[in-house]
Amino acid sequence: MNPKIIYPIPERLGSFYKTLRNIARILFIAAALICFLVNFLVKGKAWSLIVGWTLFSLWRLIFSLKLVEFSIYSHANKVTFYIVILLILIDHFLSPGWAQTVIPIVLFADLLVMFVIFFAMYDRKDRHLISIVLLGLFNLISIPYSIHSWPIDNWIAFSFQIASMALFIVMLLANRKQLLYEIKARFSTDTK
Amino acid sequence: MRRNRKDLHLEKLKGGLDRSDCEKIDAFFDEVTENIELPILSKSLLIDHFIKGFEFYLEKGRSVEEVCEILDVKNLGSFYMGNNRKNYSLDNAAIIYPLGMKYGQMPMFRLSAELKEEVEPVLLQLALDFTIKRFPCFSAVIKNGFFWHYLESVNSVYLVEEEKDIPCKPISIILRSYRSFRVLYYKKRVSVEFFHVLTDGSGGMTFLKTLIGEYLRLNGKQIPYEEGVLDINEDVKDGELANEFKNAKGDASLSTFVDKKSLQIDGRIMKSHISRIVHYEMDASKLNETAKSYGGTVTAYITALLFLAAKRCISKKEGIFNIQIPVNMRKFNGSNTLRNYSMYFNASEDIADIGDKRKLVQDIDAQIKRKGSEEMMNQMMKTTGKLISSLSYVPLFLKVPIMQNIYGYLGNSIIGLTLSNLGRVKLPETMKDEISKLYFVMPPGKPNRATSTLATVNDICIFSFMRNSNDPSMENILLQLLEEDGLEVFVEGSIEYES
Repeated sequence: MNPKIIYPIPERLGSFYKTLRNIARILFIAAALICFLVNFLVKGKAWSLIVGWTLFSLWRLIFSLKLVEFSIYSHANKVTFYIVILLILIDHFLSPGWAQTVIPIVLFADLLVMFVIFFAMYDRKDRHLISIVLLGLFNLISIPYSIHSWPIDNWIAFSFQIASMALFIVMLLANRKQLLYEIKARFSTDTK
Repeated sequence: MRRNRKDLHLEKLKGGLDRSDCEKIDAFFDEVTENIELPILSKSLLIDHFIKGFEFYLEKGRSVEEVCEILDVKNLGSFYMGNNRKNYSLDNAAIIYPLGMKYGQMPMFRLSAELKEEVEPVLLQLALDFTIKRFPCFSAVIKNGFFWHYLESVNSVYLVEEEKDIPCKPISIILRSYRSFRVLYYKKRVSVEFFHVLTDGSGGMTFLKTLIGEYLRLNGKQIPYEEGVLDINEDVKDGELANEFKNAKGDASLSTFVDKKSLQIDGRIMKSHISRIVHYEMDASKLNETAKSYGGTVTAYITALLFLAAKRCISKKEGIFNIQIPVNMRKFNGSNTLRNYSMYFNASEDIADIGDKRKLVQDIDAQIKRKGSEEMMNQMMKTTGKLISSLSYVPLFLKVPIMQNIYGYLGNSIIGLTLSNLGRVKLPETMKDEISKLYFVMPPGKPNRATSTLATVNDICIFSFMRNSNDPSMENILLQLLEEDGLEVFVEGSIEYES
């Protein structure tokens, strides 16, 4: 059968991203398995867990993007989450004693970046306030830990957390109406 | 003082015109600018469309006054004025689509109309700029709620594009996160590809007809607002945005969902979502006569041919083969909703029993009458509603992974093929002279190897067959079966995208 061709011939049939994704999947799984095996054989610290988490994070952040509502804010949140877990793993398994200071700095940095993007793109309608709220809550969770070790080791972390909270509150106050609207929409169970 | 692009274009536009015309143009664009409150880039894009429209009409010898009248700013309505966010909960049919979505798989469909003349992109763009406000739930993006996905309207500028890619390619959420449909043009064809959460074939056809109606009007044709061509400047009517599933009557019964796993057509599924499209063009009246001669409707006849062809393309000798047939619920209650309002049933045959064509057509016709009845469809709608209600308070982060894993079992594994018949599409008389054919394309979902559709306009029926596998035998058998019945078939289609 030779139909009359009425569709344009695509310039590129395969997607570069799709191919890269397939190659990455194989390489990442192979690398993780090799690391776990070597770590198991040579014993010592559980460095393979950190490698495994890093590979998993890269996969989730680069090759497994959100299918619904991908935004710079939600992605920034995701990056922060994976980095914080990585820092906790490094602190716990390789060199302990610094994560409680570094993590609040990372969280503050993320919130600051979001703050800048948020107000730079203020006229856009897709502000994804919920992502910012989540990051703010994330900061909030780390505060009790800092208070617990106050004031000897952790005044740096605590200062950053206070600064983060200040930023967070400014953003919320500036958008309180929109925030209420968004909470109502996102928590609706209405299917009518 | 630095002049912006808009001013430069306007100056070019005004070159050679007398002073009074220049003043009219200035006044017109002042009014346009006053009616747009969008981020700077979107605003300049929209103004650019008007400038190009002006250029187009002036080149055609229209006077400035005439152009101001054709491109009347009232056509923009208040759509581009500031922040008009509105939420729409997904209808009961749409709710499943984002739950089951995986990377590279997006439930899409395409409706295309072939015009008598080459498409003029400038006018199509303006037609879209003017039309979109009439379809507020189409200018929406899908969002994650805590319990369900929902649609949020986005008042941005939608661009028409020249068709360059495989039809129904998933919409890139990374590069263009602010749309759930795309408008394409290629030679004489205008196509709209929809993410299925927005609407079904019927709602999509209303959008396409209204868009083309506006395009033709901008092209100087008189197109009345009838037969599904909506008046773009009237308010959205009651019921157009309704989730009609809530009005289902009768009792719920889980048995309406349960079906045996279907056999699948042979062939390796390719990476691309469609590996080939074939359109069989036929005289609709002759097709109808042929179907009647076998004692069935066109849907029953084509379904029978699909069963016969499938039998020859399935190596297994035992098992059930199911063909899913969507039912437009609007035919039962005359609803004017533009959202999803279709249910479906499966026409089933034991593969070993498929043989005599006449018997098969009559059996399928009986199945259509029985399983596709108003009562059965209402029962299914009621069941869907109950299932959805029972899941209402389960958080989305739990529903998504569960649905991604069972979607294939509940949905596509119990069917081997789909046949969606849009029926005879009605057009206003003056529009009939401008549209020669309608195409309906829908990619198959895994593990299915093919889908098929029917769309008829101006007594031309296009039976389309889309596959995602490497095996072309079924489309060849279908052609052979149609020709065996004396039907004259003209075949169009795509290249083999992946072999």
